[in-house]
Amino acid sequence: MSEELVKAISEMDDEAAINLTKELLGKGTDPMEILGDCRSAMEIVGKRFEQGEYFISELILAGETLSAISELVKPLVKAAASTKKNGKIVIGTVKGDIHDIAKDIVSFMLDVNGFEVKDLGVDVAPETFVETIKSFDPEIVALSGFLTLAHTSMKETVEAIKAAGLRDKVKIMIGGGTIDAQVCDYAKADGWGTDAMTAISLAKQWTGAN
Amino acid sequence: MSQTFKDPDAGKSPEQLFAERSQRIMDVFQMKQPDRVPIMLGLGYLLAEMGGVTRQELYENPAKTQEIQKKIALEFQPDTVFGLFSYPGPSIALGDQMTKWPGHGLGPNGSFQFAEQEFMKPEDYDAFLDDTADWAIRTYLPRAFSTLKGFSALPPFQMLAFGHYYLTNLPAFAAPHVVEGLKAIDNAIKASLESGAVVMDLIKAMAEIGFPFPVILTGALVEAPFDFMSDTLRGMRGIMLDMHRRPEKLLAAQEKVLRFEVEYAVNLTKSTGSPYSFIPLHRGSDGFMSLPQFEKFYWPQLKSLIVQLVENGITPWCFYEGVWDQRLEYLAELPKGKTGGLFQSSDIFKVKEVVGDTMFIMGGMPNTLLQSGSVEQVRERTKLVCEKVGKGGGFMMTTGVLELEGCDPKLIKAWVDATKEFGVY
Repeated sequence: MSEELVKAISEMDDEAAINLTKELLGKGTDPMEILGDCRSAMEIVGKRFEQGEYFISELILAGETLSAISELVKPLVKAAASTKKNGKIVIGTVKGDIHDIAKDIVSFMLDVNGFEVKDLGVDVAPETFVETIKSFDPEIVALSGFLTLAHTSMKETVEAIKAAGLRDKVKIMIGGGTIDAQVCDYAKADGWGTDAMTAISLAKQWTGAN
Repeated sequence: MSQTFKDPDAGKSPEQLFAERSQRIMDVFQMKQPDRVPIMLGLGYLLAEMGGVTRQELYENPAKTQEIQKKIALEFQPDTVFGLFSYPGPSIALGDQMTKWPGHGLGPNGSFQFAEQEFMKPEDYDAFLDDTADWAIRTYLPRAFSTLKGFSALPPFQMLAFGHYYLTNLPAFAAPHVVEGLKAIDNAIKASLESGAVVMDLIKAMAEIGFPFPVILTGALVEAPFDFMSDTLRGMRGIMLDMHRRPEKLLAAQEKVLRFEVEYAVNLTKSTGSPYSFIPLHRGSDGFMSLPQFEKFYWPQLKSLIVQLVENGITPWCFYEGVWDQRLEYLAELPKGKTGGLFQSSDIFKVKEVVGDTMFIMGGMPNTLLQSGSVEQVRERTKLVCEKVGKGGGFMMTTGVLELEGCDPKLIKAWVDATKEFGVY
């Protein structure tokens, strides 16, 4: 493990992180070890975000650094075994809404917290959620939305999941800046939140993960 | 109970109502205590829901929309009311890549939305700083508006300073793509005049039945310099990276934006006579940036913008979108009694406590309560807000986002009535 690399990523020194990666690879370091360092660094970033020390810009920069490192490392990795163990979650911004920022952050934080996340993107139709539940078999469905219109789409998505006979198979959380208990009742979801931390704690609570 | 509530406005003539309501809302903007808490309704897409038409039709059939708006206003009897916030004509004429409208990029019942993109690349900062206007015309507009692609082939606009010698460049304006762009601009201007006429007609028609237009919606729209760089130029992702990777350039760009925004607002105010300026705030709220970032990249520039507008006799008011609970103390630094704030999801009681002496306040009713609450809940909330936030005046009741899309008409009526009942001073 390279403490220097972990530090560079988690302290937002993206240039140093990329140079270090190149150096390590040049010295013949195991690419899996570098990916492990990335994971450790992201855990630190996630913790600092939870503690309110880091904000969106740090998550975005860390994400950029990570994908730049992945590009260097991935071609050298033979078969990347999945290390996710906490459970499977399908996430997306509901139909009619194209806001992605909050959804991306929750997606990122769930990933950092050991969940296997399938991100369906924005403007996702209820049918798409239903199909994905069938094929991906998640424990949790996370619906994101910012517009007022999204409240209706969330309700329709929950109804479609119910109509497909899948409601008892999944826990459903809804989230976004305009969500409150009122909307949760209205949409018949199992939980709600306005920030990423709530999404993580709900997911952990529902799957019994630590 | 709301069923037995007797509207104090019942039986008054439209002229009397217009005068009383105008006074009530002007009192608020001047931080005075009116006779009772005024209430403003932004109908938005509620017009389609209650009028039985699609959202697309609202834009395309202004006569029908006006009829619906009058009917709804008469039913609810608020102090001031507006319908649609903006119109798609110019955007459609230009092939605007940053907005989507019902029937244009969305279904006929879609919601107007911004679709942020990174129209300005990191490497554009130098050109932006060197000559914003030339960069905007030849680089930015071709990216942001599909009909204006041809402008990228035009000679540098600085060459205009060459006078007579520049004239040899005129054939460049005859290139087919440039001609297409100029035609599109012509169409956009026409569309803009048309929607302007629709709005003027609507304001007149509403006044005739006793409803003053919320005057604060007229005047110059500007943004916090950080949001200016973020919303239509760098996009959320780009701007967040800029804070880490090129902070000096971001700050220099904001300084430039601040200068021309002030000039713009001051000139516009002189020509229109409207002393208001609307500043919707986006990335400065709790959650988007840390307090140190806020102190470096957001607040000083926004504060300077507001102070300069006030010094020029303008009343700026901000839409404090999202939650500002962690940074209300900063707002208390603003010139006393010279600005306003619409608060979406901040703790409105804390807002009153911290900035009640500083600015007039709008908000108080969460949209979600009007969507799926009960009449009792709505009345209870209204009573509390009137008592606590209305105290001493300088407050206008609105929803957190002004508009009423998706709200239950029965609850809206209960809310308006309760404001008249509990908002009396």
